[in-house]
Amino acid sequence: MIISNQLRRFFSYATIIFLTLVLSVFISGCESRYENPDLSVYQYRDTKEIVKFVHDASQRIKKDGLKSLDYFRNDRKLNFSSDRYLYIYDINGVNIFHAGMPHLEGKNLWNLTDKNGKKPIQMVIAALADKNNPHAWVHYSWWEPGKFYPIPKSSCHFKVTTPEGRVIFVGGGLNYPHEEKEFVRIAVDGTAGLIKEKGTAALAEIESPASPYNFRDVKVFAFTNEGKLLVSPVMNDRLAEFKLMDCVDEMGHKPFEKAMNGLKNSDSVWEVFLTKNRYQRTLVKKSLYLRKARLDGSEIIVGAITDLPQPPG
Amino acid sequence: MKMADDKKYEYSVNEVPPVGHLLLSAFQHVLIMVVAIGIPIIFAGQLNETPAFTASLVTFSMLASGIGSIIQALRLPYLGSGYLCPNLCGPSYLSLSLSAAWIGGLPLMRGITIVAGLIEVFLAPVIQKLKNIFPIYIVGLVVALVGVSIVQISVTSFFGQTFQGDAISNMDIFIGGISLLIMVFCNIWGKGFVKIYCLIIGIFSGWILAMILIPEYWQNLLAVKNSPLFAMPRFQSLLNPVTFRFDLLIPLIVIAIGSTLKTFGNLLAAQKMSEPELKEINFVPIRNGIVADGMATALSGVLGSMAVDTSSSNIGLAGATKVLSRWISVVAGIIFIILAFFPMLTNALAHIPKPVLGASLIFSGCFMICAGLIQMLEEKWDQRKTFVVGIALFFGLSTAFLPSLYARAPKLIQTFFTDPLPTATILAVILNQLFNLDVLYKKIRK
Repeated sequence: MIISNQLRRFFSYATIIFLTLVLSVFISGCESRYENPDLSVYQYRDTKEIVKFVHDASQRIKKDGLKSLDYFRNDRKLNFSSDRYLYIYDINGVNIFHAGMPHLEGKNLWNLTDKNGKKPIQMVIAALADKNNPHAWVHYSWWEPGKFYPIPKSSCHFKVTTPEGRVIFVGGGLNYPHEEKEFVRIAVDGTAGLIKEKGTAALAEIESPASPYNFRDVKVFAFTNEGKLLVSPVMNDRLAEFKLMDCVDEMGHKPFEKAMNGLKNSDSVWEVFLTKNRYQRTLVKKSLYLRKARLDGSEIIVGAITDLPQPPG
Repeated sequence: MKMADDKKYEYSVNEVPPVGHLLLSAFQHVLIMVVAIGIPIIFAGQLNETPAFTASLVTFSMLASGIGSIIQALRLPYLGSGYLCPNLCGPSYLSLSLSAAWIGGLPLMRGITIVAGLIEVFLAPVIQKLKNIFPIYIVGLVVALVGVSIVQISVTSFFGQTFQGDAISNMDIFIGGISLLIMVFCNIWGKGFVKIYCLIIGIFSGWILAMILIPEYWQNLLAVKNSPLFAMPRFQSLLNPVTFRFDLLIPLIVIAIGSTLKTFGNLLAAQKMSEPELKEINFVPIRNGIVADGMATALSGVLGSMAVDTSSSNIGLAGATKVLSRWISVVAGIIFIILAFFPMLTNALAHIPKPVLGASLIFSGCFMICAGLIQMLEEKWDQRKTFVVGIALFFGLSTAFLPSLYARAPKLIQTFFTDPLPTATILAVILNQLFNLDVLYKKIRK
């Protein structure tokens, strides 16, 4: 009798474990079939997932060609959720597929402009050619299907040449995205390249709200080694002069002074500082990224400030 | 397996389990203690520190936790409660340590941690004198709130969230749910080995499941092989200077009082579980336990680690398994100290998936919350108690529900209304006196 009870208990546990394993294997079958891109530069799961999502779609098109569009069109729900959706354009700006806004398909959106004067499609084409921006991130305002208010958006893109020889790009974006350090690195490093290429003329472009160097609360700025402002971190006006090296955070630290010390041994540096937040009792961590650039033969510094991830809760 | 005669315990507080059970039970407690390794890692991350600094901070925090767990359980003269109540890096001092490290670096962080420990030692005899202001129902409330205090960390871990506002994966919820159910099923229907080691069974089942479902967890574990198997802590850092700033004293005292009350609650819960036959609180082991906790906190300052604290989750686990032997805490402390010298093993344990850890914290938290509620309602209830507990809970819990409200509250309110546990405890004690003024007046007249 005792042995029978023990056997029964053993089989009960074994059945539970077996069913769990079967379910696990079934669920794990939903994982990506393609080799993942390098996601180590991203901090947030949301960002990693959107890159993986868009990359998987681009790999499918690369392999199966334009006939895979039927796959996307037949099940739009697969590629459309409240947080993200997939879209495909040709390099002239004609929309080929849009999971969330089918009415855009077939239209040329090359000159489409957001509320800040940014032209998303043109920005994507530029980002795809930028080696400094491996996943072709662009930041702009868009709207949700059926809604009427602007929402901030960050989208990544992959360029694909289909087996039929057509060049297209596949993209997907996050609504209300997290601020990744990588976004700031791309913007600041891109600014350094632009200044090197165009000289003083680049400064006006950097200041423009329509440039890729300004998005949401991120604003790329520039100053000389002596601390003279070339592009202000807070105003679109160089007259708003203040001494960056003397500026302090909420703890009395001088992040610019500290970062400049770090730049003595490196071309770029990240520095953390603390600011107030109306909704939190504790101070909030932010990050300052600075890098060296060349303007008309002289060394200057370009940089930007971004939020850092907060502990959950 | 030896069972206690009265079936109240599998192993009672002074009983020494056989070696196998002693080691396995201690390991089970260590699995919960490793959750706290995340605190020094978060701390170092907030300071933008190097991996070497992080490794050193984790090592010394483990040493301090291990030593604290041992002295808490040994019951030395005037030192240690003699209950199964291990120490770990609690979140109590995280915010102040961070501010101190920002202002004055590690020397100031060490300084405030040492002073915080000494304040706690100083408060221990005061707590003993407060016997009359802690009636049983308030003790029950405090114990329940100790369980409530781990709600945030346990639920965010259960959902696998690392950063505020980030995505939550269905797979993580599935893993956490299965782990929790395995622990609960083993605890309800398991017998002997299965019941006692329900947490180990749940954690390892959940871990295996996570590695099958999410390749990232498997890759994380494989990456552990890059860590050295053995490494000596950098003891030369003990020679670094220690500083202090008096403008931090007031917030430090407030936080130290909060931490002392939390330890008080933990030790009360441990006493309630270890010695349920006691008719009223025995304040001597509690006083000695708070002294031990203060000493461990001061020691962590000397070592340059994060401040350590008694662990609510481990007491909950002891209650769940009815394995209450204090010698398990001693062995768990020794294991923690040994692990501090083996980074590869520590890293492996630190890679237990967050949803699985969250499940284990929820599992142990259940016992704390219910033990407190049962104790609270054991007494005859009246309107005075209703308002004491009700008002204390309203304002205590509001600190967790409405952080943005308290961010704009007057400074004095901000100082004292910090977390549910200290806020509700202070309010309950004050209101209990206030609503019983007539009783007090009659006593004085007599």
